[in-house]
Amino acid sequence: MSAARAAAIWAALAAAVAALFVASLTLGSVPMSPLDALASLVPHAGADALLGDIVRTLRLPRALAGFACGALLALAGALLQVLLRNPLAEPYVLGVSGGAAGFALVAMIAGSAWWFVDASAFAGALVSMLLVLGLARRELWRGELRDASPRLLLTGVVIAAGWGALVTLLLSLAPDARLRGIIFWLTGDLNGVAPPWFAWGALAFAALVALPAAPQLNVLLRGDATALALGVPVARLRVRIYLVASLAAAAAVTTAGTIGFVGLVVPHALRLAFGNDQRMLLPAAMLAGGGGVMAADLLARTVIAPAQLPVGVMTALVGVPVFLWMLLRKPMR
Amino acid sequence: MSARSADAGYASVDLALAAGARTLLSGFTQAFRPGEMWCVAGPNGAGKTTLLATLAGLQAPAGGHVVVDGRPLGTWPGGQLAQRRALMPQQLHDAFSATVFDTVLLSRFPYLGGWGWERPGDRDAARAALATFGLSDLAGRDVLSLSGGERQRVALAAALCQDAPLLLLDEPLAHLDLHYQIDCLTALTAWLDAGARTVLFSCHDLNLARRFATHALLLDGRGRAWAGPVADVLTPERASDAFGYPLVLIREGGRDALLPAWPERR
Repeated sequence: MSAARAAAIWAALAAAVAALFVASLTLGSVPMSPLDALASLVPHAGADALLGDIVRTLRLPRALAGFACGALLALAGALLQVLLRNPLAEPYVLGVSGGAAGFALVAMIAGSAWWFVDASAFAGALVSMLLVLGLARRELWRGELRDASPRLLLTGVVIAAGWGALVTLLLSLAPDARLRGIIFWLTGDLNGVAPPWFAWGALAFAALVALPAAPQLNVLLRGDATALALGVPVARLRVRIYLVASLAAAAAVTTAGTIGFVGLVVPHALRLAFGNDQRMLLPAAMLAGGGGVMAADLLARTVIAPAQLPVGVMTALVGVPVFLWMLLRKPMR
Repeated sequence: MSARSADAGYASVDLALAAGARTLLSGFTQAFRPGEMWCVAGPNGAGKTTLLATLAGLQAPAGGHVVVDGRPLGTWPGGQLAQRRALMPQQLHDAFSATVFDTVLLSRFPYLGGWGWERPGDRDAARAALATFGLSDLAGRDVLSLSGGERQRVALAAALCQDAPLLLLDEPLAHLDLHYQIDCLTALTAWLDAGARTVLFSCHDLNLARRFATHALLLDGRGRAWAGPVADVLTPERASDAFGYPLVLIREGGRDALLPAWPERR
């Protein structure tokens, strides 16, 4: 991998994202041309007020939120796969989404406003994140030769299982009237999403913290001893990656619920296509994950229009067969 | 006992190592000088890996300290230390696919510039390291598809590619066929002679050690250690004592070998 090749990959992905963005603004129950859609982003004299309204208040926030969530999830997945040195890791594996779901469900059952549900989800994600951080502090903070990844992974998986039980309990107690909204939230839904600025802020922060560490992550993949011998501050790097991946997942879950499979499949697909150099992979995962969720949401709101599917259904429907194919195909090269 | 000197080199000062409550080594003061190839020998659990990791700065000793070029090891920044010593650990992690070339190229991490991408010189170093161990043909292979012995030689090439004047190799000859063991030791000897360099490797084959190492460090796992020129340390008496099995030295035609003094077969 060279910088030039990485830049070419990023450029190709960015072009695809741009095309998907225009398609997201253009397609829907009210037809318009791509030029009209782009033109109505900016209010101007002589514009069709209805088109402008649809694009600016309905389609644009969804496209932006979809991109930010997909990018956050794919980045978190790629980071956790390195941190846990496990190809099956994904953003929710350490329990972040479980905590968010548990808290959000309580808020939804209580009939809270959307902003309080979002705030609860984020609080739940933070609680779960700190819980794992505290329980696995020896594994995360100590740069010992002993391989820390399996125990950290187990700690997270057990916490996630605990949240799963809590969510099931809450579902069985929830009043019927609220169940539909809860199911949509749990599957991941961009319908009526709040303004995506929180997710975009989280994305900018995560990128700023994670991307400069990419060369160190390449080395960390080779084991703690090798990384230490090459001068990587392993313990500090691990905490940094854990925190930024968890915050990214928390921001995505808070914005759109638990959209599945993006964080697992996108980094893998890119790895299969272009190799496992984190310097290329992390930015590429952000672009591809963002584009992927934007595309999935476009499908989710158009295939059975005017009805809408939760976007998480789309990512799972596409993600499950793709992932099985990747898992079962012959070892590469 | 003070090894404080302006000498360029690696030295342990009053070093103590422990595994749990068990003392592996105590009061160990020894300099490892350029041009020396040290074999670290001893029975299982004697502390060979612990010693190499401690000398590499990955693990804190139970007592004493390590001095590198006149400065305590702990005061070296990680990046600088990575250019001073390389460590080949015993355990390798390959969770993901990667080419042999990229795996070796990773060792150039301490030399990466601002944006973190390799320069042409780094690629040349990786190619040279692969060639040293006869791996040029494997450069494009996936490390997950390699045999144990091939993977081991790739790890050796990676350690060499780090371009540090001290090599700490933990069981570099494990999984290797005899001729590869000899090839690797020959390559390491040539590398040693090409500059002010030092090699420490742990090894279970005392005869290879006697043939290729200049010095030996014998740990007996009970806190005692002998260090010095290889012929003085890996003697039948000391090795028998350390390994807990009688060994005899057989000489024939200018070659010699340590053999177990097992009962004759009828």
